[in-house]
Amino acid sequence: MTEKEIYRIWAPYGKKWVDWVRPVAFVGNHLYDRGYYLQEEELPPVLFQEVCEKDTAFIVDMPGAESVYMGLALAAIGYRPIPVYNGTIEQNEAAAKVDNLSVGKALHQCADTLSQMTFEDDAPPVFLTDSNRLNQFRKHRSLFDNSWDLYAQDLPTGEYLRKNGIRKVVIVGNKVSRDLKKILYRYQKKGVELYRVKEYEKKVRIKLLRPLFPD
Amino acid sequence: MKLVAIPEEKYEEYRLCAMFDCYKWDPQFLDHNTIAKYALVLTKEEHEAVSAYTEALDKETRAAEQLINSDLSLAKPLGLPRNVKRDIIRMKNYDPDKHIRLMRYDFHPTVEGDWAISEVNSDVPGGFAESSLLPEAARQFLPEGKYYFKSFGETLVKAISSKVKKGGRIMMVHCTCYSDDRQVMQYLGDRLEEDGYHIIYAASDHLRFENNRAFSILDGNEGEVDGIVRFSPLEWLTEVKPKRWHGYFDTITPSCNHPIAIFAQTKRFPFVWDAMEAHGVSMATWRKLLPDTITVKAAKGKEGYIYKPVYGRVGENISIREACKDDEYRKIMKAVKFHPKDYLAQKRFHSLPLTGVNGEFYHVCLGSYAVNGEHAGYYARISDTPRIDSNAADIPVLVEEA
Repeated sequence: MTEKEIYRIWAPYGKKWVDWVRPVAFVGNHLYDRGYYLQEEELPPVLFQEVCEKDTAFIVDMPGAESVYMGLALAAIGYRPIPVYNGTIEQNEAAAKVDNLSVGKALHQCADTLSQMTFEDDAPPVFLTDSNRLNQFRKHRSLFDNSWDLYAQDLPTGEYLRKNGIRKVVIVGNKVSRDLKKILYRYQKKGVELYRVKEYEKKVRIKLLRPLFPD
Repeated sequence: MKLVAIPEEKYEEYRLCAMFDCYKWDPQFLDHNTIAKYALVLTKEEHEAVSAYTEALDKETRAAEQLINSDLSLAKPLGLPRNVKRDIIRMKNYDPDKHIRLMRYDFHPTVEGDWAISEVNSDVPGGFAESSLLPEAARQFLPEGKYYFKSFGETLVKAISSKVKKGGRIMMVHCTCYSDDRQVMQYLGDRLEEDGYHIIYAASDHLRFENNRAFSILDGNEGEVDGIVRFSPLEWLTEVKPKRWHGYFDTITPSCNHPIAIFAQTKRFPFVWDAMEAHGVSMATWRKLLPDTITVKAAKGKEGYIYKPVYGRVGENISIREACKDDEYRKIMKAVKFHPKDYLAQKRFHSLPLTGVNGEFYHVCLGSYAVNGEHAGYYARISDTPRIDSNAADIPVLVEEA
């Protein structure tokens, strides 16, 4: 499959929410190979959500390829997966902070499975992001820093979510990262309810304080 | 000047082409699609007028910056950041023939039927692929043979090739955490690789300087570099700690752009025009096209002025009231009040909007590049508000054959 074909599977033109699918993780994948051994595509159990609720969006913030697999697992119960990965691949030969290629490879790997799924026209979104993006510790200046932040402009506004029937946003991940907090705080201000869930726990309602350095 | 729609049934293919063949990796900003459903078509006369203005502006700008560099007391009204001020004295060895000078002037059609410019992107103008590949992509989706364009990328590559030795190593200096910076660099890097250059994508602190020459310290890519293409803004670069950036100011490694660009990058540039003219440098084209620009203090009580940040980018924080959302206008005015030196006041011009196929209006910002004084193509954006900011959509620019 070409990059465009893979992208089309993840972002079928004209469907709701797909305008936010970022092309970055799909670009140039064929040019790089680290001899990955990707695990068999086995979807993780979704213990925290039994059925698709139309007023609920998810943001999966898990490490690397795991976020793609969790997104696909939520897709299996009716959520439309929206990859918003935005990290670039490092300069050849340079050691880097983040393995951004791994999500691109997983998106490619899962494209076939996704293409066989069907979604209702008003399927709510599950936004996929890589929690490794915030690996910002730079032990030496010679490293290539391809860590990245998620910004408000990478996701729909709170108004848009509300206008499109989304009243709740659930973060799937071990913690609510500092960049997400800034975006979620804006959602909270627009009246969107926020929840957090770890893979094997129940959803917990959260309330965020105003970030110290809002965007 | 008019908008020509990409046929609706072809737009999906065009959008994919923009993302995957034209390096447009940021197709969405908040709730806005940033790939316009139109091409912007200029008449031959409009194209000739804008390119002539561009070359005249560029001649004046380059003459002014060289004059300022020869007598730094002239730079005082520019109010340069302290970090930068300390290092501009290093630029005495600046030789324009050794470097590549790239600028982009932002033009706007006005309701009076003329042109106004809002600024020059003197330091690190972007939009490389949008001004080089997107017009060709659009042409494939529009009626054949009617339009032509000048590829910015080809002009820039030619200019770089004339200053950097064949097969040399060129470092593309940018903020490596931002994919929207990388997309600009990647287009140019890929194109230069086609011509046999070895490209290194890296951050500003991956260079160190010895005897005025640049060396890469990026892991696995160490050694001398033969050219620098910088996309990290100078005023950000000088915030990097520890301080290792002063070498950019006096390097003899061919650079695009050399830090000489800072003189015209500040929007206080008009405050040195009187002095330029007193020294025999004409600023006539600038005076004709840039609306009256004064300090915040001088604008007190005056009608019809808007406020702009001195180092603003992509239309951010400009006080055009109807373009501001939520409490943005109040916040800008508060910042102007408490930090008047970070802003200036400019007489507002009234942009002439173009009409779309459904009667909707779009305001246009037509960025016109100059490379070493030669007009080098266009990068344009359209917006439904008179302020062309990050919510605006990129639009390819074509010229209609006579």
